Amino acid sequence: MFFRVLKKDQIPTFIEGLAVDYEVIAPIAKGLAYVFAPVTCGARVVLDYPTTIVPPTAYFLKPKEALLRYNSADGEVVETVKDDRKRILFGVHPCDLNAILMTDKVFLGDYEDPYYKARRESTLIVGVSCTPRQSCVCHMFGANEVLQGYDLYLTDIGDAYFVQCSSVEGAQLLDTLVETREATAEDTRALQKHVARFRQTLGEAPDTTQIPLLFDARYDEELWEEIGSRCLSCGACSAVCPTCYCFDIVDELDANGVTGSRVRCWDSCLNSQFAEVAGGHDFRPTRASRVRHRFYHKFWAYPARYGKTMCVGCGRCYTACKVGINPSRVVAALQGDVGEGEA
Amino acid sequence: MKKHVRVDASKAYRALEQNPYRPWAARITSITPLTEKETLFEFRIIDHEVREHFNFNAGQFMELSIFGVGEAPISISSAPSKKGFIELCVRNSGTVTGALHEMSCGDVVGLRGPFGRGFPFQDMKGHDVLLVAGGLGIAPLKSLINHIHDERQAFGTVTILLGARNPDEILFRQQFDMWRHREDFNLIMTVDTPDETWDGEVGLVTRLFDQIEVDPANTIGVICGPPVMYRFVIEKMREKNLPVDRIFMSFERRMKCGIGQCNHCAVGHQYACIDGPVFNYWEAMNLQEAM
Repeated sequence: MFFRVLKKDQIPTFIEGLAVDYEVIAPIAKGLAYVFAPVTCGARVVLDYPTTIVPPTAYFLKPKEALLRYNSADGEVVETVKDDRKRILFGVHPCDLNAILMTDKVFLGDYEDPYYKARRESTLIVGVSCTPRQSCVCHMFGANEVLQGYDLYLTDIGDAYFVQCSSVEGAQLLDTLVETREATAEDTRALQKHVARFRQTLGEAPDTTQIPLLFDARYDEELWEEIGSRCLSCGACSAVCPTCYCFDIVDELDANGVTGSRVRCWDSCLNSQFAEVAGGHDFRPTRASRVRHRFYHKFWAYPARYGKTMCVGCGRCYTACKVGINPSRVVAALQGDVGEGEA
Repeated sequence: MKKHVRVDASKAYRALEQNPYRPWAARITSITPLTEKETLFEFRIIDHEVREHFNFNAGQFMELSIFGVGEAPISISSAPSKKGFIELCVRNSGTVTGALHEMSCGDVVGLRGPFGRGFPFQDMKGHDVLLVAGGLGIAPLKSLINHIHDERQAFGTVTILLGARNPDEILFRQQFDMWRHREDFNLIMTVDTPDETWDGEVGLVTRLFDQIEVDPANTIGVICGPPVMYRFVIEKMREKNLPVDRIFMSFERRMKCGIGQCNHCAVGHQYACIDGPVFNYWEAMNLQEAM
């Protein structure tokens, strides 16, 4: 591995240097919260942000995008020009980095999505270490560390960042745009201290042993009725979730009534008509069946196909859900006694 | 028997370096009203090269585009041997299918596909086949029936049980009426409510199991129909001692993307669009929400 140390006061210079050739997407303050947004001014970037409202995966699977343009008169179809502009996602937390690796499995697997692929391949990712908040449970499903998926990874070691360079392009940008120095033994000790502090803040992870098995075995039990009776089917959890990727495809018609766009937009499996077929039969007619399905996908269906639980414990849904339904509580409900109603 | 092989739905696209979301323009070449609500549409893909490469298995489905309205998944009714044309039997029950019913011969729609895992046609060869369909389930099954017909000598006894609510709702009634008298097919039709024209059986399709003989060691069962039908027909097939992994059924779900990404057609931990829509009973038993 190729290690460097970058002084924190160099970050604005680095970002502005990157912004010459790349669109830089970085966390900035918005009201009381933080969002990923395009930046050109390095001073606006906040690298010690708690979390963002919407995850950075939104830069690969857009909330809404036109896939095609069509002409309904002659059936002529023109594919939308792929968005492959050079882009840098700067300041991505470990949980969100792991989430990107998870959506990669879906969109770059057996069936490649050309739109996702174009963006993914033209985007560099600079990860950054974080200080866990109360709602962070990244260690619950092992998303508290990243081994791949970034070009550069910055770990906070006081007045500087310990930088791991994993791609040639990332290393070259770092060397060209800012002054860095080789990591010393002292820097490594600072890194160790960060890791120790990080572990301490996270505390002990909830035990998720055999959750898929419990999920399947207790699939028809009343605990889902209880959780479902509280779920509002609002879809807020899936809108802020970095691993949720359900989408819908709809046609939009231009004012001329002949041409139009076929549009892909984010959807949520909690929406009432999500599994309805023509003629009106709905395979998940109740809120309980839909909220159960959402967690079933995360804890069972995705792992069955891709080998990993599809939750990175970023904690966004813990604050987005107004009735307190979240992965920790579902895990506790599956492990706990049904009679208590303690979901 | 060999493992139920997964069909790579994206193969056709890869051969042509296609975007999986890009539909091919296709012209409606014939429209045959079948019942009050169902119509058989025949399409011809306009692009010559695409049409030449197009191939599918019985049981697979297409995404039908009416530009400006949207897409709907429809199973293919014609046999793969009918080259150059694709038949879809469509029930007028939604926005896309409603718009299609307003169209005429020569109009242009979009088609992409084929998607999904169809019936294990190759693996069925050399076996007796017991096909059971109800209502609109006859649509995907017709593709299989016609394909078996084309290679009839490769199969043992072929028994077809068809059920509908009344004689007017039997899809492809003309064809099947004639087939009742064929010696190489044992075809029995039944309706819940007969009318004066009806000379077939009366009652649920499950009743017909008393009239047939099944060799459980050598028979493959296939079921297509409304969700409520599966459980009862499976019960009958199990009474005839058909093994759980030799009963195949096709699931109806809301496939949107066709490539296992949008999540609309999830059945438990699988997707109807890439893992199905045809599953065997053993697989279905292990899928939450399957039946």
